[in-house]
Amino acid sequence: MGQATAEQAYFMEQAFEMARKALDTGETPVGCVLVYENQIVGYGMNDTNRSMNGTRHAEFLAIQEMLRSYPKSALRSTDLYVTVEPCVMCASALRQYQIRSVYFGCGNERFGGTGSILTLHSDPSIDPPYPVYGGLQRQEAIMLLRRFYIQENDKAPKPRPKKHRELNTKFDDPIDSVDRATH
Amino acid sequence: MDVQEIIRGVQPLVGEVRPIRTVQETQPVEEYGYAYVAEVNVKSAAKVVKVLDASIPRDPARTTSHLRRFAKQSNLPEHLHPLLLGDKHSPQSIFVLIPPPLPEVDLLQELLAPFAVTPATTSTTQTQTPSESQSESQTAPRVTLHTIKVPTLPPLSASQADTWTKTLWPVVYNPAAARATVAPPVQVLARTREFIQPDAGRYLAFARKVAHEALHSGRGRGVGAVVVDPEIVDRILDAGGDMEERWADAIVAVAGDARYSRREAGKPSVAETHLGPGPNPAVDGYDADVEGGPDLHALMRAAEIIAYKRRVGDLDAESDRPDLSPLEEYFIAQLDSTAPEPKQDTDTDTPTPVPEKYQKTGLHESQAVPITSSTSTSAPQESSSTPGAGLRIRPRTQGGYLCTDLDVYLTHEPCVCCCMALLLSRFRSVTYPQTGRMVSGGLASEPVIQPVPVSEPDYEDGKANEANSRQPRQYYGLHWRKELNWRALGFEFVQDGQNQDEDIAEDGVAFYA
Repeated sequence: MGQATAEQAYFMEQAFEMARKALDTGETPVGCVLVYENQIVGYGMNDTNRSMNGTRHAEFLAIQEMLRSYPKSALRSTDLYVTVEPCVMCASALRQYQIRSVYFGCGNERFGGTGSILTLHSDPSIDPPYPVYGGLQRQEAIMLLRRFYIQENDKAPKPRPKKHRELNTKFDDPIDSVDRATH
Repeated sequence: MDVQEIIRGVQPLVGEVRPIRTVQETQPVEEYGYAYVAEVNVKSAAKVVKVLDASIPRDPARTTSHLRRFAKQSNLPEHLHPLLLGDKHSPQSIFVLIPPPLPEVDLLQELLAPFAVTPATTSTTQTQTPSESQSESQTAPRVTLHTIKVPTLPPLSASQADTWTKTLWPVVYNPAAARATVAPPVQVLARTREFIQPDAGRYLAFARKVAHEALHSGRGRGVGAVVVDPEIVDRILDAGGDMEERWADAIVAVAGDARYSRREAGKPSVAETHLGPGPNPAVDGYDADVEGGPDLHALMRAAEIIAYKRRVGDLDAESDRPDLSPLEEYFIAQLDSTAPEPKQDTDTDTPTPVPEKYQKTGLHESQAVPITSSTSTSAPQESSSTPGAGLRIRPRTQGGYLCTDLDVYLTHEPCVCCCMALLLSRFRSVTYPQTGRMVSGGLASEPVIQPVPVSEPDYEDGKANEANSRQPRQYYGLHWRKELNWRALGFEFVQDGQNQDEDIAEDGVAFYA
C-alpha cells in the first residue's frame, strides 16, 4: 500500500512492539493489535512454544483478549494491524470473526492466507470478505524474522547447526518477502 | 456419566476409507516462469554447471529438474531459433538454461563470461530481448542473456512433456517425480489407509457420541473429534490385543464443539442464556454474532486439550486449563495401558523426531518448538513420580510434541481455519465421513458426484466439474497442498449403501465445523 497515515504507523508500531516481545521470549516474532474506535482493544504475539499449541498465533490471542471486554459483533468495526501477513488459519478465522480490515507488514510466502498462498479474505464464503493492505514497515518485519531464524534452535527435536550464518541485512529484491514465517 | 457404557454402546459405521485426492490432482494447473538462456562453449558445459550451482542458490521448494539444463541447437524449439540463433551460429556452442528464481544479471554475466563463445565464431551483436538492456560489449567476451518462458512445474504426462519440448524448452518426463509434486508418496498413503481402515468406523461412530454430548449440553453444535495415537494401536496389536475390544484404549483425547460456551464482554455465554435441556436453538441457523469462533471448534479444542496435557508439570499450565466436558475430561485422565515398563529414564531425554517424510519441503523447525529444553529440564529421575507419566498424552518432558503423528477422526469436514490448525499441529491424518462434508469445508478437493468420467485431466481450464445441484463451494484440499510446508493425509469415509443424494451435511445449515 502507499504511504501509511500517522495513525496506521502508530498502530503498526504497537504491533511491532509485540513482535519484539515475542522474539525476546523465544517465540516467532509476529505481533498484532486490534483497533476498535481508534483504541487498541487486543494485543497478541505468537505463543506456540510456550503453550505447546501450534495454533496459538498472535491473532487468536488478540481476539480472545478483546472478547473479554467486547462482544464478537464489535469485530465488524475493528481493524487488525499485524507484522506479517496472516497465515491460512488466521485468515480464515478473521473472516469468521468478520474483521473489518487487515493491515500487515511483510508477506508470508509459505503460509499466507490473504494473497500469498490463498486469498481467503476475498474467496466466496458464508461470511463477508475483508480488505487487506500489505507492506507497512515490511523491511522491519522481515528483519525481525531473519533475526529469529538465524538462531540455533536447541529446543527443536533435531537442531540444525547455524554457526556460520550471518544476519542478512540486504533488501535487493523489490518483491522480497519472508518465506518461512508463519503466524 | 458412565463412559464405559457409551463406549460399549458404539455401533461402528460400516464402510470404506478413501484418500481425498489433492487439488494438484483434481485441479491441475500449468504455471510458467521466466528463465535465461545463454550460449556457451560446448566444451565448458560441465564447468558451467559447476559454477552456476556453486554461486546461485536454489529455492528448495521449487523443482527445476524437469527442465533440461542444456539444449543443442538442434533441440531448440523452432520459435526460439530467430531469438537464439540469429543468422549465423557456431557449432562450438550449446545453450544453457538458468531457471527461475532468476539471479542478478551482473552476477550471471560475470559467472558466464569465461565460457562465452569467442566473438569470431558467434553472433554477440544480435538483438536483445527488451527486458535486458545491456551496454555494448567492448573488450571482454560477453554472454548474451535471453529471456524465455518455461513451465515451472514438471509435466504430468508424456504428451504434455512433448508439447512443452516443442514449444517452450526441452523438458524431461519422470512419472514418479511428477507424482511426488502433486500427491503424497503412494506407499505412505497406502500403508496409512490400511492402518486406518479397520477401526475408522468405530472412531467415527464415537466422534458422533462426542458430538451428541456437545450438542445436547447446549455448549455447541453437533460436531465431535476423536484423536487416536497410532503408536498405542501398534502396541496393542503387537501384544496380540484385539482392537475390537480395545479400540478405545488408543484414544488420547476427544473434543466437542463449544462455540456457544464463551462469555463475551463479561456477559453470560449463549449456552448460559439458553435455559432448559437440549440443543441450543442457535444451531438451527447461522448468526455470526453467536457462533463463537474457530478456536471453539472441535478440532482446535482437541489441539488445545492435547497441548494442555503436554504441559503437565509446567507451572503455568493450569492457568490455561481448557473448560472440559465430562467425556473430554475422562479421556485426558486415562493411562496408557500399553505403555512400556518405565525404564530408568534413559530415553526420556530423547524427543521423537518428526519423521522426515512429513517435512517435505524440509526448510525448518519453524514456528512451533518445545520451549522446555530437553537437555536442561532434567526430567525427574523416577518415572513413576514424573508428572504425567503413564498418561496416553506424553508430556513434553518426555518428548511429546504438539499433535505430531496423531490421527484425528471428525464427524464433519473441518473449516479452512481448522484444516490449517491440523497442519500446524502436525497431525498425521484426518478422516471424516463423506456425509459430513461442509459447504465451508477445507479438505474436499472435488464434488462427490463426478458427472463426467474424467480420463485425461483437463489442462485447459483446470476446473473441477460442478454440474450438480449442491450449493457452490470451494475445494481447497488443504490436507496436502504443495505450497504449504506441512501436510497431512486426508481420508473420507464412505458408508456402505450410502445414497449419494441423501443426508449430506453440505445440504444443511451452512456453518463452519
